[in-house]
Amino acid sequence: MPAQANANVIALQLEKVRDKVPLLYERDDILLTMIQQRGDVEKVSSRNMRLPLQVNPGGKAGSYNADGGDLGRGSGTQYDVAQISPIFFRFAIEITKLVEYATTGRERAIENAAKREVAAGMKQFRSFLDKLMQTAGNGVLGTISSIASTTFTMTVPNGAALVYPGQTIQIYDTTLTTNRNVAAGVTTTVLTADPVTAQTITVDNVPTGTIATDVIVHDGLTGAQPVSLFGIKYHQNNATTGTWLNLNRATYPVQLATPRVNAGNAALTPSNVRLAINKVRKSLGINHISKLIAYMAVEQEHAWENLGITVSQIIKEGGTNSGNDLDLLFTGRKTMSGVPIKSSVNADQTRVDFLDLSHWGRAVLKDIDFYEVNGNTVFPIYGASGGLAASYIFYFDTAFQVWDDSPRTGAFIDTLARPSGY
Amino acid sequence: MSPTRSNTPDSPPLSFRAPRISVVRETHEPPESVVHALTLAGGKNPFGEPNYRAVWGWNRLTWIGGKFEEHDPATGSLLREVAELRQEPKYPAVNRWHIEKWLPAEAYGSPRAWWAQTVEMANGRSIPTLGPYPARGDYEHCLTLEGKSGEFVQLTVTAAEHIARAIEWSRKHPKWKSRRSLYDREGRADRDYEAFAYDILDDAVPAFHRQPFVTVL
Repeated sequence: MPAQANANVIALQLEKVRDKVPLLYERDDILLTMIQQRGDVEKVSSRNMRLPLQVNPGGKAGSYNADGGDLGRGSGTQYDVAQISPIFFRFAIEITKLVEYATTGRERAIENAAKREVAAGMKQFRSFLDKLMQTAGNGVLGTISSIASTTFTMTVPNGAALVYPGQTIQIYDTTLTTNRNVAAGVTTTVLTADPVTAQTITVDNVPTGTIATDVIVHDGLTGAQPVSLFGIKYHQNNATTGTWLNLNRATYPVQLATPRVNAGNAALTPSNVRLAINKVRKSLGINHISKLIAYMAVEQEHAWENLGITVSQIIKEGGTNSGNDLDLLFTGRKTMSGVPIKSSVNADQTRVDFLDLSHWGRAVLKDIDFYEVNGNTVFPIYGASGGLAASYIFYFDTAFQVWDDSPRTGAFIDTLARPSGY
Repeated sequence: MSPTRSNTPDSPPLSFRAPRISVVRETHEPPESVVHALTLAGGKNPFGEPNYRAVWGWNRLTWIGGKFEEHDPATGSLLREVAELRQEPKYPAVNRWHIEKWLPAEAYGSPRAWWAQTVEMANGRSIPTLGPYPARGDYEHCLTLEGKSGEFVQLTVTAAEHIARAIEWSRKHPKWKSRRSLYDREGRADRDYEAFAYDILDDAVPAFHRQPFVTVL
């Protein structure tokens, strides 16, 4: 009988926790997982999923002459079909041979090693996907505003918020046509990122030809105009050109445009918020905004606190634990003009989005799980020589796409100033 | 609903069917004691009005102008579009008490900026979507009185006063501290997830990690 390899032991541990993976993934705390897998479209095939949309009402209204007049013809409701196809995402986790040496013969130690890697990997994978949710569907994680050796200063609003140290990235030109990494034959990895103060990232390799205005996209995208997860800026967009879920925006310039409030680089004011909410109310009906959430970066939540009309986080924290009825008022939902706030460190720092998540959904082709080949979930790594390398690898993978069947039921405020001190 | 009163010589004949009464807008005024407590807690603005006030959702109306779409409630299909300026409830929670704070006109920018940002063209007419410029300032939403799950919470003097004082106390903290607390909260959420993940994964392993359970005396 062959000796037990560490890969077998790790695989055994992964099998033990396998049914817990969806629980770890689906926790309802980030925007991505607040968007539910929808029962009617939960499982899709690799073909495009079709979303029928009512784009124009039917019927012909008017007066007529009852004294023998012609009542005219009618018309029916006009429908069109939006289409999406899922994108595959993976997250690769490697465990080195050192784990084996550190854990041989100790079941608990191996359990802990596997547990640590699964928990940390899932946290990072969710974070990565949540960062993609902030993008415009092209995988762009940031724009380079200046380069100093291997340090990129990134353009706000995203700044350096959407990358993490250790992430493999690719650099494209501003038109998303030329992949600088492919052209130069190098791989670029983020070494450090400062998303709070300097908005800089440092990388190990800068591909030849990289210039300011180039953009950073995530690993795995290929070719010109790559397609990634359709994030907030894809669906909440007032453009009248381009495509949205395979529909031409120019064909439905009103129906597909999300109402926008341009803050003009000024600080957030109550009137910005009222304008945005009112746009939704006028579109949906005056009393139909109870499902809205105000989604924003921590910076804009701070801007709202700075107006001095809300109980700040400092006081809310002071109100916990004593458990009386008044404290419940402060530990409950924080709102922006009555709309519950959901903030994120990944969100665009100059934007507030009002989202009706009942119109959003996830079309899932493959649920989150370990990547499996013939029952194996852990795979050996090979060295440059073709021999084995002293490490093992396993993956999380999933395939899905995010849709919004009614772009007009949201609104957004953009080009907001960030409060001073950022 | 049919009247239940019987006819008497003094009462009018009840041969008609009384119309069903449907309350479409329930209004309430805050108790005088709450008004007084909020005035004491937050003081008055330059116009002699209290800085803080409590309003019932249905009572708080505001101007909304522009092109309104009206949909068929049954099918959701668009019935008509109307361009006008209306007074409508300001907050989505119409059956709740809200605490508001007065903001000066400066908080809304200059009148020129106000008109530039809020005027909308609809059917060839310019409509101020938020109504006229609030030259005397306006009251803005601070907090909706409701429980953690959105349940109704009655307006009381203690709650109203507590909220006003908490907001005033919040304003005394330096901005950097407020910012720090928001980032700390996000950091805690991160650690909460880690703890949650470890708890979930712990459920997957056998008790005592398959070690024999031995009682030691």
